[in-house]
Amino acid sequence: MTHLTRRSILQGTVATLALAAPAIRRAEAQAAFPSRNMKVVIPTNQGGGADRLARTFDDHWTKMIGKPFEYDFYPGAAGQVGYELFVNRRDRDGHNLLFGNMGPEMIMYTLQNPKYKFPDDFQYFCRLDVDDSVLFVRAQSPFKRIEDVVAEAKKRSVNVATSRIPHPASIGVLALGSATQSKFNLVPYAGGNPTMVAVLNGEVDVGVLPGANPIAMGDRIRILTVFNNKNALAAKMGNAPPVNQVFGTKIPDLYSSRAWAIHTEVINKYPDRFKLLNETAPKVFDVPAYRAEYEKTGAPIESVQYGDRDTCTKYAMAMIELANEYRSLLTGKKG
Amino acid sequence: MEWNWDLILQLTWQQFGYWWVIIPATILGIVVGALPGFNAQNTLIILLPLTLTMDVSLALTFMIAVYCASHLGGGIPSILLNIPGNGGAAATCIDGYPMTKKGLGQQALVLSFVASVFGGLIATLLTIAALPILAQIGLYMRSVEMVVVILFGLTLIAVIAARDMLKGLIAGAFGLLIGIIGTDHVYSTPRATFGFLELYDGVPLVPVLIGLFAISEALIMIEEEMIVSESGRQHSHTVRWEDTLDGLKMSLERWWQITWTGLIGLVIGIIPGAGASIASFVAYQQSRLFSKTPHLYGTGHPEGVIAPESANNGVTSGTLVPMMAIGVPGGSTAAVMMIVVQYHGIVLGPRLFTERPDLAYGVFVSMAVCYILMILTILPLARYMSRVVLIPIKYLVPLITMLTIVAAFAEREYVFDMGLALAFGLIGYVAHKTQFHVTSILIGVILGPLFEQYLLRSLRLSQGDPMVLFSSTIGNVLWAMLVVSLLLPLWREWQLSKTEADAKFGGEA
Repeated sequence: MTHLTRRSILQGTVATLALAAPAIRRAEAQAAFPSRNMKVVIPTNQGGGADRLARTFDDHWTKMIGKPFEYDFYPGAAGQVGYELFVNRRDRDGHNLLFGNMGPEMIMYTLQNPKYKFPDDFQYFCRLDVDDSVLFVRAQSPFKRIEDVVAEAKKRSVNVATSRIPHPASIGVLALGSATQSKFNLVPYAGGNPTMVAVLNGEVDVGVLPGANPIAMGDRIRILTVFNNKNALAAKMGNAPPVNQVFGTKIPDLYSSRAWAIHTEVINKYPDRFKLLNETAPKVFDVPAYRAEYEKTGAPIESVQYGDRDTCTKYAMAMIELANEYRSLLTGKKG
Repeated sequence: MEWNWDLILQLTWQQFGYWWVIIPATILGIVVGALPGFNAQNTLIILLPLTLTMDVSLALTFMIAVYCASHLGGGIPSILLNIPGNGGAAATCIDGYPMTKKGLGQQALVLSFVASVFGGLIATLLTIAALPILAQIGLYMRSVEMVVVILFGLTLIAVIAARDMLKGLIAGAFGLLIGIIGTDHVYSTPRATFGFLELYDGVPLVPVLIGLFAISEALIMIEEEMIVSESGRQHSHTVRWEDTLDGLKMSLERWWQITWTGLIGLVIGIIPGAGASIASFVAYQQSRLFSKTPHLYGTGHPEGVIAPESANNGVTSGTLVPMMAIGVPGGSTAAVMMIVVQYHGIVLGPRLFTERPDLAYGVFVSMAVCYILMILTILPLARYMSRVVLIPIKYLVPLITMLTIVAAFAEREYVFDMGLALAFGLIGYVAHKTQFHVTSILIGVILGPLFEQYLLRSLRLSQGDPMVLFSSTIGNVLWAMLVVSLLLPLWREWQLSKTEADAKFGGEA
């Protein structure tokens, strides 16, 4: 006769749970997606542009996919921490996404050689905006036109505040220096807000950032040029001319683009999950309330531009190429 | 930005009507402030779904109450258990815990509460009165000036080291070395991280705080039966309302110190990127410098509790000044508040004061009202809180260890941080046993990376010319003040020894 002891009951329970576990996991995997809250890694600080954009977007996306979004912020090493964490430590089941700024973060990826591969480990699939890089000064600055800045930079090295050195806007000013034989000294301020303060308090002569930030500052800031062959937001930038138009240079279009990204494994392993996300996200752009809320944040509505997976991938690859071209200037290393 | 009495009175009345939000938010803030690893910023992020649905002025009142109360709450474990709730409360341990060991825990708590509330309140009232002028401070304090301000805090290492200079400086240098771990400030390249992703952002403050203070203190407590001495225990058993009144009297006698250290907090808070940690260390250093009894600091001196607590609450209104005036958040908690404000379509900046003066001034009026209601909520609790020290060590140590290890994990959700806290616990224990100052290590860890960041930025602006550090008028005035603050104690000692020598020779004659 078998006696039931505490130990045998415990052993039985553990054995039953162990046998049932794969079945539970399978059932969970097959359950309607998403079965729990969406978790998002943002590789920049909270309160920044990415945070604001993602939250405004998810308000409407949530209604389409049925689950709310939760955010974690990992801004370390120019975003490298957020990406490594997303790729290597988040479940690849579609419930985890990344919301990144493709331009600077692809430049960082090229320069730092981190422990993940693009596009093998993750892919961007929904671009939210196109935010052209601009060069700006404070309202009281003696520089009235971009020509004034370049003329001064031919006499002395002009200090330029930037969010971080691996950034499209930084490449823009370095390219301008190379093309016009003028000298610019990049000073990184670790974020858009501190960069604005450095220009406003006169610590630096000029600043470079994506345009939305300086536009939101209103008449305290004067935008002098845009690093794009067309200035789609000329009216909001005081008719700042495109840099190539002024100097006849061939600097590529340099802009920041925030986008949602997902593990590549999810795209291949759970196509239905990816399909849901990939098909619902573009629909948010058609929601009038989304556009109204976006505009309320002070950012220009014209910068909202949907881009699909192919568009994002092409842009990311172009950034990798650009970063390789300017590698020595961006890393301070020769060769 | 015009002064409008009717509006201010109307807003004050409205804010008092929000007492039902302020009091629960204050209690929540005190709890998260007192628990290492939790803070106003991460609490407000968790509660964002709630605040985003609230009316904007109510949401701001709620967030401000949590924020201000968390700065006050951080001092409670510093005083009772030698465990700072956050970086801004680390300097409170230096005199707060010795007061508790003497059986004066209740008085120390009351000193901390009164200093926090009145320091914060005075700074807030001054902000309401002089907002346009104060908004300019952030524009005058640039990288060079910040190098000197942080040096004021770093000189505290030398002050703490005064009793054993070599050990103090070694501890400070060790802290500074730990502080350089992480990504470099110019090219964002990971440095001295040994390949650990968890160290890319630098050595995280919370596990260091928990290790150096909480775990090392728990290990030391094991060797004793109770936290307080025998006489202190007798005193603690008979805690009475008279002790609360005694603490209140001690605080009010030092009203001027509360005022000026609160203003140090306000000024440092206005500078974007600076915060409560810098403010409390600078205020402690300055308070000791101008004290008539500097030798009593570190032994359980009431002034050593007042200075950091008043300053770290003075910071609260300061960090909101750049957010409201120029649309740039002064700190991470302000950044979370900014999300809520922008979500409601409100654009921050100078225009806010003409377009929505109710909101622009309302934020600071709300803060003032929160402080008034906070003192009424917290003061009666000092009597009960101080009895924590009577819990036998055999219960207290496991409780502290469990809570703090979880707290080490909570902030970033890395298991690595729990190991880091344990490692720093051992370092702290060895430091205690060999009479190295853990506070010196902590100052290096907190202020070292900030100092490096501003120094490198200044040198990059000048393209390597160190004379940039003496290129600004405000900076040069600060340098002169720094030199005076270093020489003054030496001059005082020289004067004292001269007086003693004169008296000796006079006596012999």
